[in-house]
Amino acid sequence: MRSSKSIAITGVGCVCGAGKTVDSIWSSVLEGKSAVAPISQWDVAQWPVGIAAEVQPRELRTLVEDRRLQKMISRTDLFGLYAAGQAIQQSGVLTQREKLEAAAQAQFNDRSGVYAGCGGGTFRSAYEFFPLLTQAAGDMEIFGRDLETTVDPMWLLRQLPNNVVCHVGIRHGFRGTNACITNQCVGGALAVAEAAAALRTGEADRAVAVGHDAPIEPETVLHYHNLGLLAQDTLRPFDHARAGTVFGEGAAAVVLVTAAEAAACGAPVLGELLGSGCVTEATGIVELRPDGDGLARAIQLALQDGKISADEVGMVVAHGNGTPASDASEACALQRVFKGTPPPITSFKWAIGHSIAASATLDLALALKAINERVVPGIATLNELDPALHPLPVSSRPQPARSDIALLCSRGFGGMNVALVLRAGNSRS
Amino acid sequence: MNPSRRIAITGIGMVTPIGLDAPTTWANLVEGKSGINTIREFNASGFPVRIGAEVKDFHAADVIRGHKLLKFASRTHAFALAAAEEALEDAGLRPTPSTASRWGCCVGAGMMGISFDELRTTHSFAGTGGEFNSDGLLDSDFPLDPVGFCRWQTNAGLALLMRQFGVHGYSTAVHTACASGGQAVGTALKVMRRRNTDFMLAGGYDSMLNPIGLSAFCLLGALSTDNDTPARASRPFDATRNGFVLGEGAGFLVLEDWEAAQARGARIYAELAGDGNSLSSYRITDSHPSGDGPIQAMQQALADAGMRAEAVDYVNAHGTSTLMNDRSECAALRVVLDKDIQRVAVSSTKSCMGHLIAAAGAVEAGVCALAIHHGIAPVNAHLKEVDPACDVGLVRVKSRSLRIRGALSNSFGFGGSNSCLAFRHPDEVTA
Repeated sequence: MRSSKSIAITGVGCVCGAGKTVDSIWSSVLEGKSAVAPISQWDVAQWPVGIAAEVQPRELRTLVEDRRLQKMISRTDLFGLYAAGQAIQQSGVLTQREKLEAAAQAQFNDRSGVYAGCGGGTFRSAYEFFPLLTQAAGDMEIFGRDLETTVDPMWLLRQLPNNVVCHVGIRHGFRGTNACITNQCVGGALAVAEAAAALRTGEADRAVAVGHDAPIEPETVLHYHNLGLLAQDTLRPFDHARAGTVFGEGAAAVVLVTAAEAAACGAPVLGELLGSGCVTEATGIVELRPDGDGLARAIQLALQDGKISADEVGMVVAHGNGTPASDASEACALQRVFKGTPPPITSFKWAIGHSIAASATLDLALALKAINERVVPGIATLNELDPALHPLPVSSRPQPARSDIALLCSRGFGGMNVALVLRAGNSRS
Repeated sequence: MNPSRRIAITGIGMVTPIGLDAPTTWANLVEGKSGINTIREFNASGFPVRIGAEVKDFHAADVIRGHKLLKFASRTHAFALAAAEEALEDAGLRPTPSTASRWGCCVGAGMMGISFDELRTTHSFAGTGGEFNSDGLLDSDFPLDPVGFCRWQTNAGLALLMRQFGVHGYSTAVHTACASGGQAVGTALKVMRRRNTDFMLAGGYDSMLNPIGLSAFCLLGALSTDNDTPARASRPFDATRNGFVLGEGAGFLVLEDWEAAQARGARIYAELAGDGNSLSSYRITDSHPSGDGPIQAMQQALADAGMRAEAVDYVNAHGTSTLMNDRSECAALRVVLDKDIQRVAVSSTKSCMGHLIAAAGAVEAGVCALAIHHGIAPVNAHLKEVDPACDVGLVRVKSRSLRIRGALSNSFGFGGSNSCLAFRHPDEVTA
């Protein structure tokens, strides 16, 4: 640990189409396996695009054991609660709490934060009103009259965007500072950044930060396709033939603790969060700047925040969502920040899909594995680097990391760009 | 306490059921006027609840420069754009190309959902029994409207605000149900204190006054059913209260560095002095009868502001007008204010404007700043018979002239998130 203000990561939890532990997901990435497959949630036989990286249906019911709770929350909440629970278990903070007396336990709980980045609303939740709409046949008076006999009284509670914050609190007794961030793709990255800030300013001693999302829905797929954002076969970031992104889903969580807490817990430090940066290009809802200005500024702020120079960065986990515009502007930003000599670059969405609000925390979980093993995994779907992006150090094969520091990029609608800088856990200086 | 940086509130903007701007809203709050009426925006005649606090006669194009962007704005986004425009105009300060990267935007955004009309359209392509039919969407007549899809994105409102005003720095959106607006303002305070930005546009916006939103709260039985007496339907802390009234609107603040605001001769309404933020971890919709959860949020806000309970003169209560909230909140106030419980003026301005859900905390933060600025504690309207369990220093009958040294604003949400903001009179600020 570098100083008393260091933020240590002591627990990680993950679920996505490639598995439900970080080790299994990491292995499949290293093996070059992609979890992208035909969509199972609806019949895609007639659909122009029918692929995504879905969490296996047989896994779904295993994520949260409490049957009653399963009925009170939505698909994305299952992912988030599972990942948060796994990260909290691994961190050993609960064992630490058990050793305390009752009054100290209460204080411990008040000093434990919960931060989530989530996808917000879904289309599918509103389908529950379809039988009522059919019954009303356009008559609003009947709609209102038959409401209470037709729709589940608890309907709203399943749709609450902050369900994961709420239920993580109830299940694990965390009662401190909290936020549920609904900032589309960068939500997960901001949950981590805000949790770390709460620890740095002394608002909390420990916090779980989780990104979760379940964006694979018929309307969303069709609209993304309509906007030209989806690939029809596979996600090929930075490739000459890249044609768009592919949806994924799931969640990943990390437990962040102060240096003092890490020492007290004795849990292995998986990594350190050194800094973060967040900016917007103010380009509107879906547009982005072709020069990557926002991402370059976010990276520079994150490096400053972590007191790291660009040449100390050993690897980059790019956003790499596979759309022509995003990848090209991301390459511009990386060239600008690293003055033409970026460290090895990879991305993970080709293997696990783009899980929107969950994407940055899933990337973070995998980045921790990568930086601890000093291996920058290859992008297995990469055939030919787009000549316009040359010379970007991406490869279909693994590359060695240049140092124990990784940079992570997260980008989203609204021209949002967030960068995180982290260091491997086994470094001591 | 974080002594590193003081934050000034220099601009306030509001779109509420009792006014399309902050001065009108404030004047009506002081008068105790109700903005609640029979719902007009859609036919609610068959619903168990037919009343709401609607924003009336709002025409976005009148107040928002650049109509091109409005095409992407939903009703609630338009409220946000209008309130933010007013706040910036009021502050006499806007992002410029040289300051844009030091400006941030932090919003409490309502729950995201497609509009009722869009839902009806999708339904018309559903199966005969009303089951969802995915292949129906492939019908060549199905309107795949990209503008509608953009409008529906979770951060669409934030994106429009950043674009409209040219904000290029740290920006985020939060949603913790009814605590959202308070948490957004609190997050903005933290972002500025850690010097991620020098200026913030902080606020909240929401409208659940549509058939689905109204349904959602009717199903939970959380709303007042006083359909025949809408003006008195929201009466927080009254023994006869029977639920909250759904409202809509937006509130925004302009925040800037205290010294910088003084240096440019800005009118400073109040110091945004502290933030408290806790999680009840009790039940989803219920608050703990003891006030556990809100107590910690209020204590943290005071500690963060370096303020003692003795220096608090006004509390803008969450005060939803539900039995459970009102009693639990009063229990929390008793613990936090202790011997000062009868001295401190307490009111819920939801008595006039209903519950603005994700916008409530942001609008009420503006109310606290105006209360300090004008030296008036606004009335807790429509209170006849105080619930004996809510016997705190309620501002009854009419608004009270009062020099307010310090104020608190509470916002508690479904899911157990609790936000409390602390405000200080500019003359009480010492270097």
